[in-house]
Amino acid sequence: MEMLKKIFKACYDGIFEGTSKNMRIALYVLFGLTALFIIFAIQILFWGLGYTDMDNNFTWGAWIIGDLGLVGLGGGAFTTGYILYIFRVDKLRPIINSTVLIGFMCYLFTFVFLLFDLGQPLRCWFGFAYPNWGKGVYPASMLTEVFFCLSFYFCILIVELIPVILEHKVLIKNKYIAAIAHYMHLLMWTMAAGGTFLSFFHQGSLGGGMWGALYAKPVWYSHSFFYMAIVAAMAGGTSFMTLIPYIAGKIMNKQYVPMETFQLLARISGFIFIFYFIFRLYDLYMYTFVNAPMGGREFFDMWGGYYGAWMLVLELLLFAGPLVLLNIKKFREQEKFMVLGLACAVGAIVTSKLSVLLHGFAAPNFPWKGFTAYMPTIQEWSITLGCFAVMILIYMAFVKWFPLFPHLEHDEHDAHH
Amino acid sequence: MEEKKIEVKMKRKWGMAVDLDKCTGCGKCSVACNQENNMPIFEDDSDVPKRVAFLELMKVTNDRDAKFPDVKTAYLPKMCQQCEGNDSGKHKAEPPCVSVCPAVATDVGDDGVVSQVWSRCIGCRYCQTACPYEARAFNWWKPEYDGSFKKSLNTDVSVASRGTIVKCTFCSHIWKRERDKAAAKGILDINEVFYTPACVGTCPTGAMVFGDLNDPNSEVSKLANSDRAMRLTNVIDDVKDAEKKKALLNKKQFPNPKVYYLTSQSWLRDMMRFKKNS
Repeated sequence: MEMLKKIFKACYDGIFEGTSKNMRIALYVLFGLTALFIIFAIQILFWGLGYTDMDNNFTWGAWIIGDLGLVGLGGGAFTTGYILYIFRVDKLRPIINSTVLIGFMCYLFTFVFLLFDLGQPLRCWFGFAYPNWGKGVYPASMLTEVFFCLSFYFCILIVELIPVILEHKVLIKNKYIAAIAHYMHLLMWTMAAGGTFLSFFHQGSLGGGMWGALYAKPVWYSHSFFYMAIVAAMAGGTSFMTLIPYIAGKIMNKQYVPMETFQLLARISGFIFIFYFIFRLYDLYMYTFVNAPMGGREFFDMWGGYYGAWMLVLELLLFAGPLVLLNIKKFREQEKFMVLGLACAVGAIVTSKLSVLLHGFAAPNFPWKGFTAYMPTIQEWSITLGCFAVMILIYMAFVKWFPLFPHLEHDEHDAHH
Repeated sequence: MEEKKIEVKMKRKWGMAVDLDKCTGCGKCSVACNQENNMPIFEDDSDVPKRVAFLELMKVTNDRDAKFPDVKTAYLPKMCQQCEGNDSGKHKAEPPCVSVCPAVATDVGDDGVVSQVWSRCIGCRYCQTACPYEARAFNWWKPEYDGSFKKSLNTDVSVASRGTIVKCTFCSHIWKRERDKAAAKGILDINEVFYTPACVGTCPTGAMVFGDLNDPNSEVSKLANSDRAMRLTNVIDDVKDAEKKKALLNKKQFPNPKVYYLTSQSWLRDMMRFKKNS
């Protein structure tokens, strides 16, 4: 008992020592959400999905939104890695470790969400054991592709993350570990290239192809959705990767990443957003005039008339942020406009993923049925928010104990000597 | 000695025709289906969207606010429509649900029946999302059979575990049972007289007809080819021009179901096509 008390006290001191009051409140909230997550996770895993508000019409809910959003935004990891390691844009060096960590967590929690979404989580390995391949290596099911691609890319993210852990100030003193970390850094471009290759597939398949392939559902069926999701991930992901370290810096009252790096990544994001916007307009045009009529439906009818289209309007409004604020130099160079632009960019991506799901499932399959409503239960909220809380906690832990921003450590070392 | 391979080519393509003008909405088909396929009874079965049922008897009304002389009602028994997709040469014919399954838990047989292996299903519900007929049901709760109900379970149908997708298979266990009986006598192919799904067998008005769509002389083929026949959601049926039809099929696959609904009521036909009421 004494031992437990000691361990608890050591942990408590380790986490809360030297934190400000605001920080302590934030940590309490995050730990509280994590506790709720654990409680309801046990309930869902042991007693089934009946406790969610999903049903036979609304087959996926909050967790798949989490999946789509996380994978979409986590796509910033491969884009940033590619630009840094292949195009050798060294200005991005200060942000790369943070990017890899965010990407790693986004994918890790995609797995967690997917696991909760399975009715039989213990059978999750069936996806690898009995994959639904079509001709050759081309998968028939988009989920088969997601299973394999996600796993491979997750392995790559782990490899990319290992040097960050090895460079911990205690570990790096060992010369073998130092050598491993050094050479891993040198060879990281291979991982970046491989990661980009894999990312292209699963970004497309989980973000868009998964829905576009459902040919019997005119709400989703689309040829271009697959490709649009890739562009969306590149556009929104880079914004997300800029926003998170910025917010972390603000909260912890420390300039982690030079403004120059933020500016550059924001500019890249804004530039890709132009393409994404054009693609999205084309996609809407195709839905309205080609895809939906082919299925015998009117596209705007499936939104529940003009009233239901608020999500689409919101998405198009949010587009203005990155398109204007991130592309025009005058705005981008002002910090507040840059942050607003980044937030709008992330918002636009999240809204698009939300609307794909909510309006897609709500639209009735039979004319004599009404629109289906979906209101997540406490279990769904707790698990979703709990996952995000754990992600934030992991990020904070890395900021505190690991060389997430190595350039700072070098500066500090230089200052000491 | 070389083993002689006996190839039995299936000649049957099982299909169904439901005459909505004959259907009284008595619900016997639904009861028979539940009994035959071991449908669980939950504590709160009023929670319809989470209920497990293969056959849903849908009430169709022209307008919920209509007053007496204008109000029109029909009942539509909806089960799995056993889609087969279209083989256009450009893409392989596949039902919407089969190609999406990540664990190959569902497949379509050479007799056109879409099967589902419950013990293989991982419960991802992708097939349910893909189905335009809401024909698949998920076991949101653990299936339970209280009291004496357990004794009446059908031994030919396996009871599913929680978290798996189940669906109507045109009572394919009846086909297996009858085929095995016939095979013992040396007959390898059985017709609809021997094999009839529970819902069809129980229909008191004869509104439901089951049979072989490949046989032009079967009753179901004749009904399917009549002018009154319609298929849910399959809008390609409305395209009469052969050239246009071919072009459309090249562009996109359609469900191509094997269940036909017959009606001569124009309001019902319009409704089935998402047209505004005339």
